[in-house]
Amino acid sequence: MDRLARVSKKDWSDRAAATVAWDDGCPRLVALNSHARAAGLRPRMRLADARALLPDLVTEAGEPQADLRLVEAIASWCDRYTPWVAIDPTGGAIAPEIETACSAGGFGGDAGLLLDVTGCTHLFGEGESGERALLADLVTRLARRDLSCRAAMADTAGAAWALARFAERQADLFCPARGQRDALASLPVEGLRLEAPILETFLKLGLRRIGDLYPMPRGPLVRRFGDQPVRRVDQALGRLDEPIEPRRLPPAFRTRLAFAEPIGRAEDIAAATSRLLAALCRQFEQAGVGARQLEIALYRVDGSVDRTSIGTSRPNRDNPKLMKLFEERLGQLDPGFGVELMILSAPEVEAWSGTQDALPDQESPGVASGVDGTIDLADRLALRLGAENVVRLLTRDSHLPERVQVPAPVSAKPAGEGAWRRIANLKNARPTRLLQRPELVEVTAFVPDDPPSVFRWRRHAHRIVRADGPERIADEWWRPRPDGSRPPATTLPPVRDYYRVEDDDGGRFWLFRDGPYQLAANGQPTARWFLHGFCA
Amino acid sequence: MPVISPNVFASSASRVANDASAAVAAALREKVRRLERANSVQRRGRAAGVTLGIPAIDALLPEGGLLTGALHEIEAGSGPSGRVAPHDGAALGFAANLLGRFGPGTILWCRRASGGADAAPYAPALSSWFDPARLLMVTAARDEDLFWAMEEGLRCPGIAAVLGETRSVDPTAGRRLSLAAEKNGVPALLLRGQPASPQSVCATRWRIASAPSTSTPGLTDVGAARWRVELRRNRFGVPSVDEVPSWLLEWNDETHCLAVVPQALHGPAGARFEERLVG
Repeated sequence: MDRLARVSKKDWSDRAAATVAWDDGCPRLVALNSHARAAGLRPRMRLADARALLPDLVTEAGEPQADLRLVEAIASWCDRYTPWVAIDPTGGAIAPEIETACSAGGFGGDAGLLLDVTGCTHLFGEGESGERALLADLVTRLARRDLSCRAAMADTAGAAWALARFAERQADLFCPARGQRDALASLPVEGLRLEAPILETFLKLGLRRIGDLYPMPRGPLVRRFGDQPVRRVDQALGRLDEPIEPRRLPPAFRTRLAFAEPIGRAEDIAAATSRLLAALCRQFEQAGVGARQLEIALYRVDGSVDRTSIGTSRPNRDNPKLMKLFEERLGQLDPGFGVELMILSAPEVEAWSGTQDALPDQESPGVASGVDGTIDLADRLALRLGAENVVRLLTRDSHLPERVQVPAPVSAKPAGEGAWRRIANLKNARPTRLLQRPELVEVTAFVPDDPPSVFRWRRHAHRIVRADGPERIADEWWRPRPDGSRPPATTLPPVRDYYRVEDDDGGRFWLFRDGPYQLAANGQPTARWFLHGFCA
Repeated sequence: MPVISPNVFASSASRVANDASAAVAAALREKVRRLERANSVQRRGRAAGVTLGIPAIDALLPEGGLLTGALHEIEAGSGPSGRVAPHDGAALGFAANLLGRFGPGTILWCRRASGGADAAPYAPALSSWFDPARLLMVTAARDEDLFWAMEEGLRCPGIAAVLGETRSVDPTAGRRLSLAAEKNGVPALLLRGQPASPQSVCATRWRIASAPSTSTPGLTDVGAARWRVELRRNRFGVPSVDEVPSWLLEWNDETHCLAVVPQALHGPAGARFEERLVG
C-alpha cells in the first residue's frame, strides 16, 4: 500500500484506498490503508462487496513483484539493526528469542519482516530501554520514508507476529521479557498463524481469543485439530523453539561504524573503511583466521544500501594489503546524499596459515616468500579482470595435447619444480602455440598415407617441404566420455596421427589426421586433417 | 650479410694499446649511460643487462646484453617469400628465450581474450626456455586492461619480467610501460603477431621470421628451429655498419643453445657444401 502511496499522484492520505488483484474468480482486495480498514473492509474481500460498503473507495491494480522488491529493500535496510533478518513467509513458521515483526504495506498487504535482535539492543541503551529505543528508532525511520508500519517486540517470533498485527493499544506493542502469556491472552486467535479451516472451526466453536486456548486440555485439542494449534501456542509462549532463517547468512566477523553526521566524501569513506578494517583485523587475530572475502556496505540516508566486496586468493589479515584492494573498489561506491552507517563483514574466512607462500621461485634467496608480493599482485589483477582471468598453469598426466595444460587459480598448489620439463621430455617436439580448437584444413597428398604435400588453411596454400611424423596419440579409453558413458571395450579408441611440417616459407606447423587412412563406401577418404598448433 | 660489427675489434684493440685512455673512455661511457637513463634504478643483485649468449648480438647491445629496465618489442616478420606468416610461433619462441634469461621470479604473461580461434602459448614447449610453473597468465578483455595489468606487474617486486601480447601499442601506453620498466628495473616485452608502425619508445625492437630449417642429409625431416632475427631498433646501443643488423639463429632443443648459423652453411654456397659432404 505504501509503495503505491509513494508512487501515485492521487491523494490517498485521507481517503480509503485498496489494491486489487484477480483471485478465486473475481477481483478481491489485497492491501488496504488505515481508512479502508476503519470502514470495515478486510483483505480478500470481493471488490463488489467493498464497493457496496464504501462507494468512493479508490482502487489500484496490485503489483506483487514491485511489492516484493520494496519488501526486500526494506529487509536489506534492516540489516542496520541486526544481521538476522528474514522476510516473513506469509503465515509460515518463524523466529526465536527477542524479535521484532514489522508489518509493512504491500506484498499482500500483510508483508512482514522478522528481526532477531538478540544481542543488538545494547547499541541503543541498556536492558529494556535499549529494546524500546530500537523499536522506536525503527518505526520513526520508516515513517520518515512514508512507510507505515507496526513493529512489535517480544521474546518469541510468534508473539511478536501476533502483537504487530492484532495489538489494540500502542503500548501493547512492546512486550516485556517473559510477558507474552498475558500479552497474547486478549488477542484474537488469528494471531496464531493457523490454517484457514482450523481457524474457521475455532471461531465457530467460540474460541475467539488466544487466551481461550490456554485452559484447554492438550490431548483432545491435538486429536481434533492436529498438532498445529498446540505447537503455535507453544512457539508463541516460548515453550518450543522456532528456527528463523535469515535472508543472508550472518557473517561471523563484522564491524560497524555509525556517523553522527552523514558522510559523503571519498576520503572520509576511505578513512572509515580503514578504521573498520583495523577493528576487523584484530578480530581475525583473536580468532586465528584470515579473510578470503570481505564485504563493505554503505547505509545511505535515503534508506538504500550499496555493497561491494573484495576477494583474496588466500587467507589474509594484513590491514594495508586489504586496504589496497579496497581502494580499487571504493571508487565504485556511490554515497548518494550521504552515508550514515558503514558495516564491514567477512562472509568467508579461512584458518590463517601464518605464512604466505610466494609463487614458486625457490632459487632466489633474496626474494623471501611472502614479501615478494606476487600473490597480492594476483589479487589486484583478479579484482579488476575477474578471478578466472588470472591463472597459472598446472600439468595433468594426459596424452592428449589439449589436456596437458590446465589453468588453475593462483591459490592452487603450483606444479612442482621441473614438472613441465619432465612432461616435455616424454614427448616429441611440441608447438609453441596450440589452437584452442583444431582447425580443419584441406590437404593434397601424393601417397594417401603420407604427410600431405600441400595444405590449405584459411584460404592460403602452404607447400610442405619437410615433415616429421607420424606421432600417434590415441584417445584415453580409461577416461569416461563427457556424457559419463564409458567407451566400449571391443572397439579401438579413436587415434590422431600428428605431423610436424615445414612449408616453403619456413613456417612450422603441427597437423594431425583424425584416424588411419581409409576409403568410405563413396570412395572418399574418411580421415580429415586438422591444424592444431604452430611450432617455433 | 655481415654478422659481427667491426666496433668489437676496434674497442678491444684500443684496450690493448692504452689502458689509461680505455679507463677514461669507460668512465665517460658510464656517465653518458647515467645521463641517458637517469630514472633507471637497478634491482639489487641484478645485472643492468642480460646477455643473449650470442657474442655477435651482445656486442651491439648496451651493457653487453638486453637492458633489464627497459621496454623491448618483438614482432613477427615476413618469410623469404615476403608474406607475413599467419602465426607468430617463431617470434613467441624468441620471446620465450629472452624471458628465460631474466630471472628469477614470476613471469607475468598478459594476453587479450579472443574467442574460439584462440591460439594460447603452450607450456610444454615453453619449458625449453623457462619453467612454466613461474608463469602467471592474465587475460584482459580490453587493451587498457592489458596495459594496466602490465604496469601493475612491473611495479611488483616478485616479478622477473612482463610480457604483453598485443596487436598495436599506442605511443602513450608504450611510453608509460617504458617508464615503469625503467623505474622498477623490470623488463617489459611486447609481442606482436604482425609488424606494426614503429614506435619510438622501446629500447630494442626485434623482427623475427621463421626460416627454413635444414633436414638430415638425404631425408626430408624438420630440422632444428631457425629464425631470421632483425634488430630494427637499438637505443643506447652500439651503432652497426648495417642499417638493420640481421642474423640467422638456430635453436637447438637438445643442447638448449641458441647460436648464429655459420655463414658458410646457409645460402646457395652452403647448400652446395652440404651436398658435397653428403656425396
